[in-house]
Amino acid sequence: MPDFWQFSSPTKVMFGKGLSIDFAVELEALGITSALLISDANLGKSGLLKPVADSIRENGIKVIGPFTDVPANSSLSAVKACADFAVKNNADGIIALGGGSVLDTAKAANILISHGGDLAKDYSGAQTIPGPLKPLIAIPTTAGTGSEVTQAAVILDTERGTKLSFYDQYLHPSIAILDPLLLKDIPPSLMAATGWDAFTHAIEAYTSLQSNPFSDELALPAVRLIKEAFIPAVTEPKNLDAKGQMLLAATLAGIAFDQAMVGVVHAMAHACGGLSRAHHGTLNFILLPHGMEYNMPVALEKYATLAKVLHVNPKLKKKKKLAHLSVKVIRKWQKKLHKVCNLPLKLRDVGIARDNLGLIAKKACEDGTSFYNPREVEETEILKTLERAW
Amino acid sequence: MPHFKSSEELKKILGGFFNILVSDEKIGTKLKESKLIIKFNYRHPDLSITVNCALPNAPITYNDSETKPEVEMFMDADTAHKFWLGEVNLVMAIARRQMAVKGPIPRILKLLPVIKPAYKMYKSYLA
Ligand SMILES: [Fe+2]
Repeated sequence: MPDFWQFSSPTKVMFGKGLSIDFAVELEALGITSALLISDANLGKSGLLKPVADSIRENGIKVIGPFTDVPANSSLSAVKACADFAVKNNADGIIALGGGSVLDTAKAANILISHGGDLAKDYSGAQTIPGPLKPLIAIPTTAGTGSEVTQAAVILDTERGTKLSFYDQYLHPSIAILDPLLLKDIPPSLMAATGWDAFTHAIEAYTSLQSNPFSDELALPAVRLIKEAFIPAVTEPKNLDAKGQMLLAATLAGIAFDQAMVGVVHAMAHACGGLSRAHHGTLNFILLPHGMEYNMPVALEKYATLAKVLHVNPKLKKKKKLAHLSVKVIRKWQKKLHKVCNLPLKLRDVGIARDNLGLIAKKACEDGTSFYNPREVEETEILKTLERAW
Repeated sequence: MPHFKSSEELKKILGGFFNILVSDEKIGTKLKESKLIIKFNYRHPDLSITVNCALPNAPITYNDSETKPEVEMFMDADTAHKFWLGEVNLVMAIARRQMAVKGPIPRILKLLPVIKPAYKMYKSYLA
């Protein structure tokens, strides 16, 4: 535990089937009269947005948009276009419905809507926002990033080919609406990849250098929910209870890593993400057991506790054996998910060339998440880990 | 009462210390290898110090509005004083809004191990 820690999660979390078309009263309470609705083109076509917009209008609140011009990895230009659109139409609140990219676009656009300026120049970094933002309601359509409750956003600077990160307490959304019905038609492979991202958040938050008693008490229940619901949520598309549990787990894990940060698995996944088009969750899927093995020498105690949560009936008593069991269980899940929705098991299967592993190792060491990893992220050792994952 | 009584005193003490750091054989070499241009914006008293590690001798300039920094940091001069005494954890100071960072944070996190010996140096420099 660090010498000093704090815990704050100012986002109001609401959970319920059908909630995404029944929350207009919350907008009124926040004083919103004209709400900008942000989503992406696929969701625009899916028919999910119309009932949401209708339910808001029925309550006498103006709906601006939907603005759906958001790419899979949100960019500076998308954020700027979104903010300009909102300002032109006098939006006084934002509703973001979508995956991580949509939510991050909404968070970043909200900075510009509320305070103006140049996103990259004035705000990239940490604690740079001068004051509170307009109210933002985040409605995730995947159970993964946890962005609905975090104070971070990542936006691609397409011109320079770099990812800009924004970290500020004012970026916490006002409300997170968790509606399992929105996950009704999610493809199994996306359910699996995003779910694995949430799983990785929980595990890395739990073992992070910045973990604290509060974040631990959110990370472990997230793992418990994931253990129960993950496989059914992927293999039984109609099982909305399992999908709802995954949504809840992703949010719990989001609050946990918002406080505790993540570690080496994300460092490697971010570095691979620069060279592969694979989903962030897919990269975590490949890398999680390898990252855990990297941390094994320093995280025995916590992995042993994890094994008791992950395994139905761990008979093992020795800490070391229990710790290794946690990785064993995860590998078993991997094989199962590989079988049912073909998630790749190796880096070579997601377009990563072996020659690039050295560069990836270097980038992983430079990634911001490395600094919170319980074991020092060291280039030659990371390269060996990447070789094993390749 | 702020630790530094005036911008002049802050410039003399912290600026002087930065000059020692960049010319230190171990720390200075590593700082120059980073090629980082960093600007520290202090409040109470007000002063900004730019350290340009992208140039061979890593020149230090004050209230410099011409050199374009890659990373900018904002903090009270007192926080800076405590930081160099080794009493402030950077990550925590950011979380508590005692420090703000503009630009890529990993660039400065990476330098933390490099400047570790500087905390001791600062103590003996002040003595
Ligand atoms: Fe993630």
